[in-house]
Amino acid sequence: VIKQLVLIPEAIVVATAVLLLLSARIGGSRSLRRYLPAIVAGLVLVALVLELWLGATLATLFGGGFVQDRFALFAKAAVLLAAGTAIAVADWSAEDSLSIGLAMPLLAAFGAMVAASAGDFVVLWAGLEVAAAAGVVLVGIRRPDLGLRLLITGGIATALLVVGFAFVYATAGTADLSTARQMMQSAAPTLPLAIPVLLLLGGLAVRAGIAPFHIASVPVSLGATPLGAGLVLGLVAVAALIVTIKLVAILTAVPQAFSPYLAFIAAVAMVGGGAAALGVRAPRARLAYLAVGQAGWVAAGLSTHYRGGLGGALFLLGAFALAATCGPAVLGGAEGGEASLAGMGVLRPARAAGIAMAFLSLAGAPPLAGFFGQFAVAAALAQGGHFELLAVGVLGSVLSLVAALGTLRVLYIQSPPEEGRRAVGFALPAWTRFSTAGAVVLCAAIAAYGAFGNPILGLAYQGAEALGLR
Amino acid sequence: VIAANIAAAIHAASPTPAPVTVGGSGIFTSSLLLSILVWTPVIVAGLIAVLPNPRGRYDALMKQIAFFTNVGLLFVLWVAYNQFENFLTTVQFEEKVSWLPSIGVVYHLGVDGAGMLMLILSGLVGLASVLASFGVRERVRSYFCLLLLSEACVNGAVVAHDMFVLLLFWGASTIPLALLVFGWGGPRREAAAWRLVAYWGVGTIALLIATMALYAATGSGSFDMDVLLKTTLSPRMQLAVGAAVIVAAATRLPLFPFHGWARDLFSEAPVGVSVIIAGSATRLGAYVLLRVLVGAEPIAAQLLSPLVAVLSAVTIAYAGLVVLRSTDLRHAAANLALVPGGVTLLGLAALSPLAIGGSLLSIFSGGLAAALIVGVCATIADRAQSRNLRVLRGLAPRMPNLTWLMLLAVFGLLGVPLMASFPAEAMTFLGSFKNQPIAAFAVAAGLALVAASLVVLVHRMLFGLPNPDAPGVSDSSLGETWFLGLLAGGLLWVGLFPGGPKLPGTDQPIFDPGLVNTMAAGLTDIADPYAVGK
Repeated sequence: VIKQLVLIPEAIVVATAVLLLLSARIGGSRSLRRYLPAIVAGLVLVALVLELWLGATLATLFGGGFVQDRFALFAKAAVLLAAGTAIAVADWSAEDSLSIGLAMPLLAAFGAMVAASAGDFVVLWAGLEVAAAAGVVLVGIRRPDLGLRLLITGGIATALLVVGFAFVYATAGTADLSTARQMMQSAAPTLPLAIPVLLLLGGLAVRAGIAPFHIASVPVSLGATPLGAGLVLGLVAVAALIVTIKLVAILTAVPQAFSPYLAFIAAVAMVGGGAAALGVRAPRARLAYLAVGQAGWVAAGLSTHYRGGLGGALFLLGAFALAATCGPAVLGGAEGGEASLAGMGVLRPARAAGIAMAFLSLAGAPPLAGFFGQFAVAAALAQGGHFELLAVGVLGSVLSLVAALGTLRVLYIQSPPEEGRRAVGFALPAWTRFSTAGAVVLCAAIAAYGAFGNPILGLAYQGAEALGLR
Repeated sequence: VIAANIAAAIHAASPTPAPVTVGGSGIFTSSLLLSILVWTPVIVAGLIAVLPNPRGRYDALMKQIAFFTNVGLLFVLWVAYNQFENFLTTVQFEEKVSWLPSIGVVYHLGVDGAGMLMLILSGLVGLASVLASFGVRERVRSYFCLLLLSEACVNGAVVAHDMFVLLLFWGASTIPLALLVFGWGGPRREAAAWRLVAYWGVGTIALLIATMALYAATGSGSFDMDVLLKTTLSPRMQLAVGAAVIVAAATRLPLFPFHGWARDLFSEAPVGVSVIIAGSATRLGAYVLLRVLVGAEPIAAQLLSPLVAVLSAVTIAYAGLVVLRSTDLRHAAANLALVPGGVTLLGLAALSPLAIGGSLLSIFSGGLAAALIVGVCATIADRAQSRNLRVLRGLAPRMPNLTWLMLLAVFGLLGVPLMASFPAEAMTFLGSFKNQPIAAFAVAAGLALVAASLVVLVHRMLFGLPNPDAPGVSDSSLGETWFLGLLAGGLLWVGLFPGGPKLPGTDQPIFDPGLVNTMAAGLTDIADPYAVGK
């Protein structure tokens, strides 16, 4: 019974999501709707606290299908923190549907949590699909065409994943992840293994939106609601990266089968993301490309295929989840382009600070969460002798930083429009006030992630050890 | 509670400063001294950021908060300076707390003589910068927040004793400074700010590469300087690290051909920002070169010394030639600000204990001189309503204060006796003529060229025939006189009392133990591999 208590956070998240979906049918009082985001964010916070408390217990449930280890603890805590903060920070007056808008991040978080605790290929795949489906729904509310586009590319990714999983299952002779890892110790890096791994990584790269496979996620995120964009760029990508980490952990004995692919994808994503971020001016597009660049850093850490690299990548994943999920949410509507942010530092200092923190963290600017994560990965790359990848990553980071500074310039240096100035004195709606408080929480979380990085990085390293890496 | 626990952990883990023997001892015994110097500006910046300021009603208060923060920091620094154990080779005021043990990052702060010199420079320049910024009228809150953050970054880079911490502050300093130029600069501010970001970004990459190469080569899994900089590396690895550090230093200091950002920046940035960049942020380049290359990689330092010498000579010659042809006062000042860096580098190329000491002192004097020349030229351009040297003529009778300050800046730049730069340049040249004779002659010739161009500039601008068609001219305001006077005063004080003022007939320092004495602490460690006979 005690072991099953580790499921409480998942239960809270999924029950809240289901209740929210039901409430869309039932309706609710006006005052309840006003405070609903705060209530849901509070519930996610409770789930996070319970995860940190109860999740420390190691447990294996459902015949090995669900594994609660340090990796799961870290990944789930990161996902819950990102989801809760995104709900708190989103400007709900800019969202299309309150109940679905609240339920989908929870379902995406649930999917990522399932993937983090997955003990076999089926659960791993199912978790990823739940998270991806939540993204499709939220995008489809505002733009059905983009939802369909995401669904189709997601379907292709799923096909690649299923084929890949099937081949790896055939090679290992088991669907259980820990047994597959043991079986892979004696496997040879043959072409029949390398091809399905390539398919798997391709499918996961599409899901994670890593360049050059970002063709679906980035354009889709531009047309979605703020939280929808956060879901696609953040939580769904995080779920895909969680699956990638678990897959890499199985294959560490045969690094030749995946490391070159990952290194290539990482290099393209890091430089491509930074360069593309520099090339666009629209804030949400820039944020999306910055997220692509940082996802590339995570992939670079995984390509090292040893504990330091995976630990660093996991540490960075936490920072990525926070900034990539909350960034679009705090940015709000993207319709106004760069001009809509002009002078926000004066008009809405808390939101401006939240936007600045998200941009800078994704760009890897010191001393924020992304910098610490990228540095941990960089240290692992240096230790592993991957200096070419490190050089490419640093170049990408500089491009990203220049791009982020461009947005900061608009936020803090450009003068606000006159109508914006006039609006400053008026009281804000309750939702906007709540999202302003959420922005403060986001700033604190991004700033504190590195400053108090010791326990977080330690847990990430324990997570890597839990996956059998030394 | 968390903050209290961290403070307690730092206190428990940090060695108490050694007993002191000079005046001022025992006043300040906190082992958090360096953290106070680094984090107080950050905290105050945060407070300013959240302070309500409806329609700029409390702009003046924000300026005062920034000013008194700097005064307070300077006081703490003065106490630390007096408590500093001169001639002790170890790092002092050390703070050491494990930060990210999984990758070997330690929150390790500490200063030796060189660090203390840099901190004093940063303190003086920081105060001057705030005074120079009192004229800012737009977005005062943001301006002073960013200025305080810049100061914190410089202080953090100086006291860092872990390469990660150094990189953190080194890289972070670019962001507030670039935003300050973006927001409050002149008409070409965008180009100036982007250039700063690009060049300093390259420098940060170079330093990161050096750090990672050291980390990988030592195989210690630690970024602590005590480990990284005390491990003997192969000559090849030392060369790679050394080359990267030279690039990092050259983009900061700046040195030819990495000086592309300097002209635009010093001519477009607001005066206060120019002062902090020229005075302290750029000196970090020489400081890192001294600490990482000269202090830790002696083989690479010797192999690369001809390159360093060439960079030094070319930078000074280039600056002299450009100033001679310049028709824009602020452009001329920007190029003159390159000169002290060139002199500093000559000492680091010569690699003799005397020259290294001279270099160290010239980091301090050069920082003050560069800040002064940039500040005074910007003020003259403001007050004369023109920066065109064809228009600016015969200003001395109408701006006597600025004329005196300009002359002091010129003297400081050229190393005239009674200025702090005199002992610095004397030590540098005396220590360099043996090891790098050609470079020393070239630098001396370059300085002669700079002197000639300065004579032409000063004669034409200040003492020539007044231009009747020039716009109206006024002398410096009280605030401008104070900030320029502070920088000039620093140069004069150290020039007059390099060993500190003493009670007549005794060796007891009164309130200043002497910058040259403080500088000596830790210098033995750095210069020892280059002593004669080694």
